[in-house]
Amino acid sequence: MINRFAAALLLATASHAGAVGTAAAEPGITETEILIGDVEPLTGPPALLGVAASIGHKIAIAEANAAGGINGRKIRYVLEDDGYVTARTIQGARKIVDVDKVFAMVGLSGSGQSIAAMPVLEKAGIPTVIDVAPVKPLWEPPRKNVFIVGQSYEEGIKHLVAFLADKNPGKKWGLITQDDDYGIAVHDGFDSMVKPKKLSVVYSGSYKKGQQDFSSEMLQLKDAGVEVFLAGGIIAENVAMMKELEKLNVKPVTGIFWPGRIEPVLKLIGPAGDGIYAVDYVEPFAGEAGKAFLEKAKALVSEAEFKGINRYTMAGYAAAKVLIAAIGRCGKDPTWACTIAELEKTSNVETGVMAPISFGSGVRFSNQKLKIMQADFSTLSFKPVD
Amino acid sequence: MQYLIQLLISGLAIGAIYGLIAMAFAVIYKSTGLVNFAQGEMTMIVAYVAWTISTTISGNIFVVAFGAIVAAVLLGLVIERVVMRPMLGEPVFSTVMVTIGLAVILRSSINFIWDAYPHALDLGVGRDVVRVGSIGVRTGQIAVITTLLLLLVGIWAFFRYSKFGVAMRAVAADDRTALLMGISAPRVHGFAWAASSAIAGIAGVFFALSYDLSPVMFQLGLKAFPATILGGLDAVLGSGLGGLLIGITENLAGGYVGSGMKEVAGFLMIIVVLMIRPFGIFGERDIERV
Repeated sequence: MINRFAAALLLATASHAGAVGTAAAEPGITETEILIGDVEPLTGPPALLGVAASIGHKIAIAEANAAGGINGRKIRYVLEDDGYVTARTIQGARKIVDVDKVFAMVGLSGSGQSIAAMPVLEKAGIPTVIDVAPVKPLWEPPRKNVFIVGQSYEEGIKHLVAFLADKNPGKKWGLITQDDDYGIAVHDGFDSMVKPKKLSVVYSGSYKKGQQDFSSEMLQLKDAGVEVFLAGGIIAENVAMMKELEKLNVKPVTGIFWPGRIEPVLKLIGPAGDGIYAVDYVEPFAGEAGKAFLEKAKALVSEAEFKGINRYTMAGYAAAKVLIAAIGRCGKDPTWACTIAELEKTSNVETGVMAPISFGSGVRFSNQKLKIMQADFSTLSFKPVD
Repeated sequence: MQYLIQLLISGLAIGAIYGLIAMAFAVIYKSTGLVNFAQGEMTMIVAYVAWTISTTISGNIFVVAFGAIVAAVLLGLVIERVVMRPMLGEPVFSTVMVTIGLAVILRSSINFIWDAYPHALDLGVGRDVVRVGSIGVRTGQIAVITTLLLLLVGIWAFFRYSKFGVAMRAVAADDRTALLMGISAPRVHGFAWAASSAIAGIAGVFFALSYDLSPVMFQLGLKAFPATILGGLDAVLGSGLGGLLIGITENLAGGYVGSGMKEVAGFLMIIVVLMIRPFGIFGERDIERV
């Protein structure tokens, strides 16, 4: 009798544990919500990208929640500020994984910061989709739980150089890059195109991050007779370079990269910015896709957040959408293993803000299709040219 | 030759901005014996206030200039009264740490109050390019060089002839004796902070006119500090000239050696100068009697 009672008790306990187990099997999931975490620079100059990316994540989450959430569970976004300080990124990632116990991660600060946080995320095994700063060390070698939406800086510059070289054969080239990992990636990409495109490089310089006066660099550029110029600055640096060139009364064909392809920059550069070429993998706001995205965003974020939208918002939106879709495909009881498997199965997912996104077996990098755009000062926008 | 002239003019223009901020460093040091590590941040805050005035109240240059100077003076006075005066008599190390803390707070406030985007301070002046042959210079750059020179003369006259200027020199030389002579050290300190903030603010506004506003503007303080050391921490006029020297040296190094040397050149110059004159080119030798 006692044995029967004990067996019944054990059965009841086991079945109860099973019932709650569906909700408590993985961290960050309750009966009513799923937690998604992120660490971004929300203060300091890089907030320009961190805040914008987080707005993109919020738009995707708000859109999903408005449609009923993920299989009935609302998504809650947990966001930490790292101030673009690597130690704080690691600390923030640890806090989000260990204390907030989120179900998945999205975004993750700058290139150096996300690389530094990799051991934390890899050890935890949490499904992660990175969108802010796609750099090779994030996907080479591939990590089981980490997926990257975007394109590498090296490929970006190769695409831009190939376009400009075909358009301007036999011209003299100049390049200036930042003295950090971003600058090195840009420089490496450029160097790999010098031989194949037979480029005549007459000026190559680097500047210290945060430099604001480019008078001597641009004078050297003018003196060298540069006709095609790759401005490897991010935002304020490119503005300062273009203004200096205007002062020196020279107007080389100029190319910039996506970190600086932000519409307010055109207003700051003024008429000297008209005709600048840019390379990017997200749609320009001046196109149909861009306009549709802004229309959608207007209804989902506050007025202040809407003002903070830039290209990083689109990148963030796409990444969050891919992650949400993967969790959704796991049904009522999503697990990390299922989410990772579903992320891997992501194939031609349309986000409306960039080319369709795909991963694959062992493929953790979406390798987005690149586009060349040209600045139009009269409308303060970038328009596709290829 | 035109290459050299263009480098010199650009060097003078950026050097004038360094010089103004360096003078702001020296005004506080001369009156209080303190190095204010929040000088670059104060420069940036005043420039942002000027931009806010220009976009919300009026874009008239006189309104913006008046508003920016009033804001700068108030900023200096508030910092002195609320943050620095309670530190009077405390160890110098603690006081310097307070200015470092203040710098971090002011730097972060840009994102809280404004945003991380660069902005143009458009007052309808200062951006036009004046050309002489192939040499180009913006009117704002001519204005900042002229302003520095006028301020150098004005500050020299102030310290030489005005009663308050002499009182400031007295506090700097020996604050206890100055106190016995009826000079109020806190009043002198308050004036020094207000004047320093105004001078740095002028630099910030001129910088924003020529190069735009951005949250990295505070780094101007780091560039101007070597100018103060070069000119002499206690030499207000020397610091102004030190700024011009640093600006020209940086640009010549960047133009003839390479952009990598641009950052290093000013510091190399300081090392050499300090090895010969440890108190700076125009600084006073500090003699301690045993």
